[in-house]
Amino acid sequence: MNKLVNLTIDGRKLQGEEGQTVLEVARDNGIDIPTLCYHEEIEPYGACRLCLVEVTKNNRSRLVTSCLYPIEEGLVVKTATERVISNRKMLMELLLARCQGVKVIEDMARKLGVDKPSFKPEYWEKNECILCGLCTRACAEVVGTSAISLVNRGVNREVAAPFLETAEDCIGCGSCVYICPTKCIKMEENGDTRTIVNWKATFKMQKCQKCGKNFAPVKQLEYFRKKLNLPEGFFDVCPDCR
Amino acid sequence: MESFAVFVPRLVPQKDYLAPGHRACIGCGEALALRLVMKALGRNVIVSNATGCMEIISSPFPTTSWRVPWIHTLFENAAAVASGIEAAQKIMNEKGSRTNMAKVVAMGGDGATLDIGIQALSGAWERGHDMLYVCFDNEAYMNTGIQRSSGTPFGAATTTSPAGKVSIGQSTWKKNMPSIAVAHDIPYVATACPSYPFDLMEKVNKAVATKGPSYLHVLSPCPTGWRHGGDLSVKMGRLAVETGVFPLYEVVNGKYKLTVDFPKLRPVTDYLTPQGRFRHLPKDEVERIQKGVIREYEKLKKKVEA
Repeated sequence: MNKLVNLTIDGRKLQGEEGQTVLEVARDNGIDIPTLCYHEEIEPYGACRLCLVEVTKNNRSRLVTSCLYPIEEGLVVKTATERVISNRKMLMELLLARCQGVKVIEDMARKLGVDKPSFKPEYWEKNECILCGLCTRACAEVVGTSAISLVNRGVNREVAAPFLETAEDCIGCGSCVYICPTKCIKMEENGDTRTIVNWKATFKMQKCQKCGKNFAPVKQLEYFRKKLNLPEGFFDVCPDCR
Repeated sequence: MESFAVFVPRLVPQKDYLAPGHRACIGCGEALALRLVMKALGRNVIVSNATGCMEIISSPFPTTSWRVPWIHTLFENAAAVASGIEAAQKIMNEKGSRTNMAKVVAMGGDGATLDIGIQALSGAWERGHDMLYVCFDNEAYMNTGIQRSSGTPFGAATTTSPAGKVSIGQSTWKKNMPSIAVAHDIPYVATACPSYPFDLMEKVNKAVATKGPSYLHVLSPCPTGWRHGGDLSVKMGRLAVETGVFPLYEVVNGKYKLTVDFPKLRPVTDYLTPQGRFRHLPKDEVERIQKGVIREYEKLKKKVEA
């Protein structure tokens, strides 16, 4: 166990382990901080900025993203000051204007007390992606293929495969489909093929030689086999029949 | 969901809110189901747990497996306690003394849900509390020594429905609890099984996100009571789904939807033979079970198509 650090969150005296972030300590102690781009198994990134909190140190206070801010001895954190709430509401309005009709965003907005964005309706968009980067981070950190990335700058920023073409390195594991908070990455399965629509990648599925079920893309199994130095034909039968 | 392999499991949070080292039997499917449910629920939850296997194994005095606020209730009032917690939270929120609204979850075994606790549960559903009720169905009163409950399937031998010269074991069919839940017109009802872990976790997430009462019926293989090998628990769950004995489906606002649909069901003998509780069954009774399973499945399919 690491060294324990004392801090105060919303007036409660709490302890956390050295190296934990403010968000982790708050969530462990039942203090709710809204997030969209945070996932426990992936390195924090600070893209959605909804986890803003006010941190006071040496009589100076500032707004920081709690998912990235490591705890320090004697830190005083407030999660619901007027400044935090007004900032969060503004962020939510921007997200809501970008993502009209996305349920996760609408639910979160309602929870934070935002009914509709205060911008003119002509600026509202029906984009589904919030550019949280969870899919690209999962692809790089967990899968290790980095088949997709965030491309372009500013308003043109989007998640895409290299050169906006078919994702050559994609192995069709579906991690991006699973992790996407707004569920905007679509995967289709049709007989013995699997298509991840957003990356325009189609995969042939491996058929189990015992039960005849199409259980995983051939490319993905080949990737495992090479990575783990397994003999050829190791994945001819599905995990259920093995 | 089940088509995701290897990498997606790595994206499931590692943190467990049901600590290991509890006293469940070897190969317990129910403890596995409970662990997955707790993983999906996360930290911000208050659990009201009826007496049953999961209460006995997780809290032998003075230790506990629970890393979340947890209340042990009697057999009959898990749902009543949970509705009280929900109402108290609501009033505290209105008065401003509590801003963090925890999810309220009640849990019980099949005995606590189908038999003893059904009155309180029905009341909670009727009042429309915003809570989730999870039933871990292992098809008998397992922790007291395998007595039959109304969740015990036709033909199963238990200590109070023994098989012998004059009896073939349980002589009645399993009570259809999800249908009873649907009849209460609650917004979310689903059946799940720990053999389909992602599906189970997704259904828990959906259920707690629903405003109003929701019900989750989880079939949990029990090696001790079903009398099969401890290594077969996950397989038994899969077989139950694949043979159509326990179809996986969800009912959102009265609309039925099958989670996994098979073009052809496996013969029910695949599911019955590994289990010692069905060992005594003569051929004609197996036939009868097969017919019953198909009849129920067809009924369900009609509801899905409607």
